Order: sequence, then structure tokens, then C-alpha cells
Amino acid sequence: MAQRAVWLVRHEPGTPVCGTVRFSRRFPTVEKRAKVFNGASYVPIPEDGPFLKALLFELRLLDNDKVFVESRDSCSRINKTSVYGLSVGGEELWPVVAFLKNGMIYACVPLVEQTLSPRPALISISGISQGLEFLFGMQDFLYSSQKNDTELNTKLSQLPDLLLQACPFGTLLDANLQNSLDNIGFASVTQPQKQPAWKAGTYKGKPQISISITEKVKSMQYDKQDIADTWQVVGTVTCKCDLEGIMPNVTISLNLPTNGSPLQDILVHPCVTSLDSAILTSSSLDTMDDSAFSGPYKFPFTPPLESFSLCYYTSQVPVPPILGFYQMKEEEVQLKILVNLKLHESVKNNFEFCEAHIPFFNRGPITHLECKVSFGQLEVFREKSLLVWIIGQKFPKSMEISLSGTVTFGVKGHNKQPFDQICIGSTAYVKLHFRILDYTLTGCYADQHSVQVFASGKPKISTNRKLISSDYYIWNSKAPAPVTYISLLP
Amino acid sequence: MGPLSREAWAQRLGAFRMSPSTFMAGAESEDLGRDLLSDLRNEKLSEPTKVSLLALSLEYPDKLWPDALAAEAAATFLLDTLLLLPPRPSALRRPLLLAATTTLLVGGALSPTSGASCRLLPLLLGLALGRDVGRGFGPTSEQRLLQATACECLRELESCKPGLLRGSLGLLRSLSGQAGPIQPLSMLLALVLRNTLVVQSRSGAGLQDLLVAGVFSPGGGSWDWTLAEEADDQLLPQTPSWPAAEKEPGLAGLEPSPEEARELRAAVAQLLDTSYLLTTVAQAQLLWLLGWALRGLRGQSPVIFKPQLARLLGTAQVTLLHSVLALKAAFGEALFTAQDEALLLRRLTLAAQHPALPSPTHLFYLHCLLSFPENSPLGLEGEEAAPLLLGHQLCRSLMPDLLNDPMAFLARLHLLCLLCAEDEEQEKGQVPSPRQYLLELLAGLRQRAALDGSPQDLATLCFQASYLVASCLAMQPSVVKPLIHGLSQLYRARPLLAPRFVDLLDRVGPELGRPLKEVLWQEVVTRPGKGEALCCHLQILEKVAEGGAHRATLNFLQAAAIHCTDWGRQQALLRVCQALLRTGGGDGLADLLQGLARQLEDPDGRDHARLYYSLLVHLAGPKLRVALGPSLATPALASSLVAENQGFVATLMVQETPPPIRLSVEPHRAKGPLPMLQLQVEVLDPAYSLELRFCVQGQLYAPLKAIHIPCLCPGRPAHPLYLPLQPRRPAPAQLHVQALYTTPTGLTCHAHLPPLTVNFANLFLPFPQIPKGSERDFFERLWDSCLPKGVESCVWCPLGPQGLEALVSHHLEPFVVVAQPPTSYHIAICLPPDSMLLLRLEAAQVDGVPVVLRTNDWDLLPLAGDYIRGLAAC
Repeated sequence: MAQRAVWLVRHEPGTPVCGTVRFSRRFPTVEKRAKVFNGASYVPIPEDGPFLKALLFELRLLDNDKVFVESRDSCSRINKTSVYGLSVGGEELWPVVAFLKNGMIYACVPLVEQTLSPRPALISISGISQGLEFLFGMQDFLYSSQKNDTELNTKLSQLPDLLLQACPFGTLLDANLQNSLDNIGFASVTQPQKQPAWKAGTYKGKPQISISITEKVKSMQYDKQDIADTWQVVGTVTCKCDLEGIMPNVTISLNLPTNGSPLQDILVHPCVTSLDSAILTSSSLDTMDDSAFSGPYKFPFTPPLESFSLCYYTSQVPVPPILGFYQMKEEEVQLKILVNLKLHESVKNNFEFCEAHIPFFNRGPITHLECKVSFGQLEVFREKSLLVWIIGQKFPKSMEISLSGTVTFGVKGHNKQPFDQICIGSTAYVKLHFRILDYTLTGCYADQHSVQVFASGKPKISTNRKLISSDYYIWNSKAPAPVTYISLLP
Repeated sequence: MGPLSREAWAQRLGAFRMSPSTFMAGAESEDLGRDLLSDLRNEKLSEPTKVSLLALSLEYPDKLWPDALAAEAAATFLLDTLLLLPPRPSALRRPLLLAATTTLLVGGALSPTSGASCRLLPLLLGLALGRDVGRGFGPTSEQRLLQATACECLRELESCKPGLLRGSLGLLRSLSGQAGPIQPLSMLLALVLRNTLVVQSRSGAGLQDLLVAGVFSPGGGSWDWTLAEEADDQLLPQTPSWPAAEKEPGLAGLEPSPEEARELRAAVAQLLDTSYLLTTVAQAQLLWLLGWALRGLRGQSPVIFKPQLARLLGTAQVTLLHSVLALKAAFGEALFTAQDEALLLRRLTLAAQHPALPSPTHLFYLHCLLSFPENSPLGLEGEEAAPLLLGHQLCRSLMPDLLNDPMAFLARLHLLCLLCAEDEEQEKGQVPSPRQYLLELLAGLRQRAALDGSPQDLATLCFQASYLVASCLAMQPSVVKPLIHGLSQLYRARPLLAPRFVDLLDRVGPELGRPLKEVLWQEVVTRPGKGEALCCHLQILEKVAEGGAHRATLNFLQAAAIHCTDWGRQQALLRVCQALLRTGGGDGLADLLQGLARQLEDPDGRDHARLYYSLLVHLAGPKLRVALGPSLATPALASSLVAENQGFVATLMVQETPPPIRLSVEPHRAKGPLPMLQLQVEVLDPAYSLELRFCVQGQLYAPLKAIHIPCLCPGRPAHPLYLPLQPRRPAPAQLHVQALYTTPTGLTCHAHLPPLTVNFANLFLPFPQIPKGSERDFFERLWDSCLPKGVESCVWCPLGPQGLEALVSHHLEPFVVVAQPPTSYHIAICLPPDSMLLLRLEAAQVDGVPVVLRTNDWDLLPLAGDYIRGLAAC
């Protein structure tokens, strides 16, 4: 369970090489073992230059990647995981765990403790999950609270020292690199025996706990007979516990009101010490019935120092918060559009913001527009072929609003207007963006009085909630739309 | 070299890291290791700089100290440096320990006879056990950090030399319950325990008293070099991959006494009980290590892991869930009842699509689902399959849709295919039918791939999905038929995807391949095209045309030959003929080839057609196939016959190569009835029977004749080449040049050369037969003849320092009719086919001369103006 090497590569399209290696680290003792274990199938770790070239080629990130290359694009070369084989110097380096996020490619090569031919299944290579965790750790470190290139460069320059702490020999000791950074600071403190390795030190100060629940709601609405609309709530409970003592124990309960929607698919942070079996088994994969466990959901845990995600959940609320339909028809040179949105009466009618974006893909710029909105204002981005309907903070008393009109487009400019591979012909959508503070769709809340703390001092407990839209689509009901299997179920 | 500054080191390290091999090949390389060591004691350098030097030695010890001797010396130096540090806190102790360990291990210097090893090991063990290692080794505040570091170093030593710390097992165990940093000690103990179990079972020895505390002797003696001395193949996989590991005998050789078994259980239980104090990645390592260590060991029940599982199943941390799967693989039913297995599977299914997890994690879990270690597996070992307990209900949320990213789409599509393959009967009741859904998805993919200008990724995804479906469901006509129909529609919509169709035909089995060939053939022969579409059609036809040549194929080729005007297309056409020859010829083929041998413009094409014709009429079918051999694209057999044939095919094929020569246009004294281009040849590679073909853009000149050169060799002077031009209009032009030639090895090659430019002045000719003595009259007659049809103009011709006389003699000498040097010149230029340009250069001033020009061709005016204005600059 070790890594042979790790890289951070900045993807820079438009430059001659299309990228630069921003950081790399090799682990020669692991490499020595790889040579013995892999035997005849051993392929050495290449230098940064050749590695960069091979990686960008394989990930199809080179600028001139527009032609069919059989060795990479052949129909039988199917890659279903983030693990690649890179062709380097006529040999294939495998397994290379790699993914692209925010313009940065994270890559590492885990040690495989056997011959590579035949290739063992990924599930049986312990270094794969370790490699993923390592790369996620680096990603979190680089992008948590990082705002610009200068900060990114500072963080990159800290990496060599951090890896000396977190991964001195290629075997990862802690994926939380921030923790390792803090560890350097705490090194002089004498730590007691039972100090957890994931906690760099102890908190000194006023005890306080903050719990925030963020729910994201996504939806696909079709307004069609044979296709069912779908929607889902995904919740994240984030905690920050400032408590004195080495191992303070905390129990947080999440509660639902009587008509609340049960929480499902609950994933917890590793610091949670035990879980009720009802929490473990409540799952969206089952058909719902009234006997579903509806809380309270208790999470006993020993908190780390930093802010962390105590748990994630999903939920199937009975109705979507905003139900709408979108009708778009092509009439000779113009498009006729009609959008109707209705806020459900049970939802808090007090938004931080609420907007409907109506993009038109694979067309020219908007040249002419005649539109009427029953409520709110309409903004037009002609060059981007986009309409933004600003609904504002509240729906009107009727809870129902509409937009109708016609749009005409000019000649398509080269690469100026957005291309989309889904929205072909009249296939189109309206995407809703909204946020409601101090509200959750499931009704889920953390009761301050039910938080139990076994630590010195009575902590101040603060809670907050919010609901955010995410991937909230209303598809044109007059044209085909991409469907999921679930939406076809009777 | 003296001590380097911080900046100089930064620069040097940067240069090294850029490309270690290039750096080491350079002049500075030898000193790098030495300089690095000596500067570690340079008081002028700051600690961060020294840490960066040590970081380099951690990464590239093999480059800095390539052999055991150098590594031993370097490690000794590092250890000395450690002892020389003043007793205040320092950031160097930790990296020095790490560097010394790495250097010894990588340099292969670790041995009982190595001085450095004998110093390092007791130091590390002493530090790890929290004992006083003497000589004021660092301040107490640093002890804990160094203790952890020492544990890590020992763990790495034990990983590379299993069994080395066997003698210290008891000591470590006694310590881990009391003091010290929990994670490094637990991890070290777990590894030593595991290695000890394996080593003892291999040697057939018992655990003896290894688990009980031994006595610590600082002078050494607790090191077990027996295994470390042996060859490298004694390395033990810490986390063995199944199913290979399942076949290993395990620890059957170990027969612990009840006492020993109890001790062992206690040791493992202690490690597991405190495992929640470790970071998640360390917990995962511990479980993986202990799980596979205890597997098959008599007297050890896996139930000891159960309390951990309940805690771990709630998280979706990728290392933790992965380690649970490893335990599942190691123990199967002994640890996971059928209900447990179902629960694990549900959690895994959930994690494979949970919106809160990142995409690489989803993909990994999807892979784990299809390789799930079932209690009672039905499928073939090592083959991906949907686990039995994963019913349709669970799979629902893992169905692909067109909004998935490509990798997720393929992974989910595979699952869907496996479900469709399972049971055709079972599906009937289901609404919507998974098979129907699958077909709709494929149709959606094709629709996207057919879009004009859609990205390549979409086409790649479409063909990969088609291949995946074809390989999983080849035996199901209800899937294959619509798939084939859809693909033929796709080809019709976008023939440019031809290379992908050829690739698909190469990969799929006959169930899809044969009918697909049929429909593509139909698609091609019923829709002849021109231009790019024709190239695609020929590419497809080469793949799908069968022998017994259908009349339709031959008709298509006959019609296509008219459009095959360039060499490339003619070759594509001939490749189809070759494919037909290989698969059996047919009646009309001989006629077609004979026709091509006459009809094709290109001599190479004609030659090939003639050759194929001769082969066809002279050889019987089987011989013909042997003669034409396998195409280079198919994997070669190891037979000498085939190898010879490949040579034959290679000699018949014309290869595209970089040009063997460079051509440039030389200034040339015009004479004769036609303008002549003088070309200078620079030979780069030897070439025989070289034929240079020239092609002018826009039909400005009559077709140009090819130039033949028997032999060109680099180093030997080459004669200039003369290319006569027959202008249809007197205008500058670009000539495209191709070279066809034979290499010294006998291969026929083809190359494109950079285009040549024919300038306006290259077309100038002097007037022939000017009557001697009456030049002035002759010129005046010409001058008058230009008007009224022609045009007169005046241009200012700037003069350089040489003056008018030099300008004329340099550029216009051959065309001067009347001259009164140095002030007046009358010039007449003939421009074939029937234009002329007359110039009067009179009354030159210091910086220029006014030029009165007349021509009978209006079109020449701008060209002549530019020419005259640019003369001085030439």
C-alpha cells in the first residue's frame, strides 16, 4: 500500500506543450520494491517531461487532439475508471490514477505488489484507493480557501515540506494535509498517548459548536405524459466544534417535523463512533413506505479540530419546490417560448435570490425579442443567446408566474455562441437558480437542546440552514429531452 | 566548486529536476552528490535550503550515489551530520533520518557489514522506543516527532527487508500499549507482526517467544539479517492482490500453541481497539494488513474484525470502504453472513452514485461492484459480472443516461449490458424494458456523433458504447439488429467517421461484424460520392468488399476512378482492388484493372494496376493470396513466409516520407523561346530514380513536365535542374512539388516538398532577332504599337548608391535594346505567351529615375509597377 510517484500538472490549453508539471515527488524505496514485485512487467517511472506528454495525450488534453488515434481512441479501449495506462518509451506505465479538476491534473502511480501481466483487478490493489485519497487530499489542500494564483503558488511551495510529513516514504500517513501543516506547528507540544493522529493538537478557548445544514435540490421536469418528473434533495451537515480536551464526545441529533421527509443514503464522517442500524439501512434504493425511519438521527462522534462534514444524506420530498413547464416551438424564423413556474404552497416564499436562465444553444445571437413576463424582470444577453428572468425575493400571491414571447436569432458566429451536445434542434431547457435561507426542504433541523456534549464547559451552539438549487432543469415539453431510467418507471 | 548560495542551489536543483538524466549527462553531474553533502554543514546556508537539499536526496539517491559504496559513504556522512547538530531544535533531524534510511535502502548498502547500517538501526530503534540515545540527541520537545520519524524509517526498512525487526516484535508490542505516538507505533507493530507470521510459517518455525517482550540491547543484536541477506524475491506483499493471494498456502505452516494463539489474538485486538485513533488512511492499511495476515491462521477467528465493520460501513471514505472489501475478499462467509453481504452491497451501490461523492470515487465503486468478492460467486474468475444479490431494484439508480460523463456512462452501460444479458425472459414484465432503454441510449449517442462538427469525444464514446454492447450482447438479435441499422444510418449521415467504422469492424466478432459489413457495403455502393466522401467510401470498401467481386462493387470502382485524380485517391482505389484480389478476385476485376492500367493519370497507379492485373491473370487464387500477403495492419505471424511476404508488400506499397532533397530557385539568365526556372538541388538522403512532379495552382501555366534524375547522393555536387515554363498568362505563381523515388533499400517512397515561388522576373525573355543597327527604330515601333490597346504609365524607380548603370546591368541587362550609359536606357521585355513590357529610363536623378513604361497588356501594370519599385531593394 504505497505510491511510487505523485504529480500535479497544470493544464494550459493553447500553450505549446499544453501543460506544466507544477509539482512532482518520487519515492525511490517504493520504486525499488516495484521493480522486484513487477519483475519482467516492471516499467520505470518516467521523468516529468515524458510523463506530462503521455498523460496529456491519454487524457485527450492536447490541442491537436482532434483526430482519431487508434492506440487511444479505439472502440475496444474502454476506460471506465480514473486509472490509465500511459504509453511511455514504447512501454505502458500502469496503473496511473489521474483526474482533472479546476484545470489541475492530479496523478499518482500506486505500487502493485505482484506482476502486472496479467493485470490484477483494481479492486484488489490497495494502492488505488490510497492514491485517490492522496490526490483528493492534495486537491482539498490546494483549493480550500484558495482564491487566486498567488495563493495557489504559496500552497504549491508548501507541498514538499508537507509531503515530508504526510508521506515521507510513499505510504500515506494522513490525507488531510492541512492537518500535517498544523502538526509541524504542534510538534513541540508533548502529546498524551491517546491523542488521535487525526487531531494535531487541542483547542484552548471558549467552547462553541456550529452546525450548518445545506440542502441542494435538483430536478428534471418534462411536463410529459409518459415521462415522470424527478427531483432529489442532497443534504450536507457541516460542523465545527471548538471544545477543550483531547477526546471530547459530542452527539448531534437531526430532527424532522411530523410531516418531514425521511433522510436516506446517509454517509457519515469517519469520526462518528457508532451508527444506528436504521440509519445505515435507510436507502433511496428501496421503495418508500410509511414505515421508513424518520429520526431522530443521532450521530455520536469525537470531533476533529477543523470544520468537517459530519454527514451527507439524500431525501425524496413529495413535491418539487417549484414546478414548471417550458414550451418552445420553432415557427419559421423565430422561436415561440412559454415558461410557467409555480411555487409550492408549502415552501417558504422568501428567497435570497431566484432566477430562471433560458439559454439557446447551437444558434446565432439574439437579434430580436418580444417577451412579456407576468412578474419580475427580464435581462437579455444577445451575444450569449441567453435570457435571464430575475424573479427576485418573492413569488406573487398567486404563487404562479409566466413568461411568453418570441425570439429571433442571427447568423451563427464562429465559436461565439454556446455549443451543446444535448440541446440539438428544439431540445432545450430552463435552469432555475435560487437560494432560501433558514429553511430546508426536508424540514430537517439540528435542535440546539438535543446536542449532547461530554466536555468541560457548556458550549455555545449555533445552527443555520439553507436550501440551494443545483441542476434544476425544466425541459422543453415540445421536443425530446434526455431522460433517466427512473423517469421512465411507471 | 566552493559553497553555493541559496539562489545558486535553487537554480541547480531546478535544472536537475527539469530532467535528471540530462543533468547527469552534463559536466556538473559528478560533483552534485558531493556538493550537496558538504553544503549540509555549510553554516551560511539556511535550514530551509538544507531541507530542500535533503528532499532531493530523498527522491534521487540512486542518481546522486549510484552504487553501494557511494551510498554507504553518503549515509555515514548524513549520520555524522546528524550528530554534529547543536542540541537546539532543528528542522534537519527528521529529514536527515529519512535521507540516511532512503540512501542505504536504495543504494543496496543495508547489511550487517555496513558501518552506516550498524549505526542507523540501533539509533532508529532507540528513538522509536523512546529511549535515551545519548549524546544529547535533540531537545526533548523534538523527541516525539523523532520517535514518529524513527518508526516510519523502521517500517520502511521492514517493508524492504521483511523479517529484519522480527527480534524486536516483543519490545514494540510492550511499548505500543504505554507511551509514544499511537499511529507510527501501531503501524510499525502491525507490519512487523505480519511479516513475522509469514516468515515463521515459511520456515516452519513457531512463534516461540517473539510476541513477548525481549531485552533491548543498544549495541544491536536484535536484527535478523538472515532474510535481509537473501535475494530480493523474499519481498512480501503487504496487501496482496486476490485472487492470486487466495491460491497462496497462507499461514498453514504456522502452528501456534494455544498460548501463542492467545497472545497473538491479544496483540491484534489491541491494535484494532485503538485503530479509531489513527487517520483513515492508516486505519485502512492496518485492516488490510491484519486481515490478510490472519487469513487461514489456525485458532484466529475473523470475528475479531466485526466491531470495526459496523463503524466503517457508515462512511464512504474510499480507503475505508476499500479495506472492508479486502476483508470481505479475505474471509468471505467467515466474516460476512449473507445479510452482511447484502448490506455491504447496498452501501457500495449507494456510494457508487451518491451525489455527495466525487466522480473518480463513483467510478472506482462501480468497478468494485462488478468485481465484488461474493460469498458464492457463479461467474468466471477475474471476469466482471453483476453480483447475484444486486437485483434490478438496486441497479435502477445506476442506469446510464446521456447526461453522464463518458467514463461514468461506459461503466454504467456495462452494468446495464450485464443485466440485459442475464435473462431475456425475466425482463418481459419490466416497464420500461432495460433492453429498450439501452437501444434508445445508443440512438441518442449516434444522434450526437452524427452532428456536423460535433467533438471527437462524442464519436469515440458512441463507438466504444457500440463495441461494449456488441461484445456483451452479440447473441441477442433484438439488440444487434437495431444496432447495425443505427450504425449504417450514422455512416450515411457522417462518412467522415470511416476510420472508426474500420476500427469497429476490426474489433467486433462475426455476429456483428458480418452483417455490419453487409450494410456498409450497401451504403457505399448505392451512394457514390466525390471528394472527401469518396475517400471514406474507399476506406470502408477496402474493409468490407468481399471476393467474387460483386458487379456493384466493380461499377462503383469504375465510376470512382474518374474522380481519383490524385495519387492518394488512386492508391486508395487500388487498395480496394488489392483487397478484392486477396479475397478471391472475380470476373470483372481483370477488366477493371486493365482499364485502370490505361486510364489512371499517375504512372505509379498505372504500374500498380498493371501488376495486380498480371498477378490476377497468372496466379491461381491461393497463390495470389500468398503473394499479396497479409496487410501490414494485421498482426504478423511468426512464419518466415509471412515475413517475406511482408517485405514484398512493403516493396509494392509506396511509403510517405520526409523529402530527400531541398529545392531552391536560382537567378538565371533568360534566353530561348520559353522562360526557364533554374533549380538548385540540395541532397539530404540518397535517392534513386527520382521523379519530381510539379503542379501549378490555378492553371496559370500549361502542365509542367516531370524531371527525372537517375541518382542523387549527399555530398556529391548536383547539377542544376531546368524547368521550362509555358505561361498561359504572364503572372507569378506557386508550384507544388512532389518527389517519387527509390531508397537504397529498394523501397518506393513519396514526399511532398515545400512549394516553389515563380516571380514575375522569372518570366522575362529578351526579344529575339533585333535587327542590328536599327535597334532604336525597332524599339520605337514596339513603343508605338502598344497604344491604343495597351497602356502607358510612369513609375518612380528609387536608386541605391550604385546608381542607374549598376541597376540596369544587374537586373535588366539582357533586355536592353538602346543604351546611352549612364543616363538613358530603352528596354524591351517579352512575356510569353504574347505580352510585352517596354521601359524608358531617362534623366536619372541622385535618388531615383523616372521610368516611363508601356505594355500591350493592362494586367501587367500592377506587376510591373511593383517590380520596378522593388528593384533597388533586390
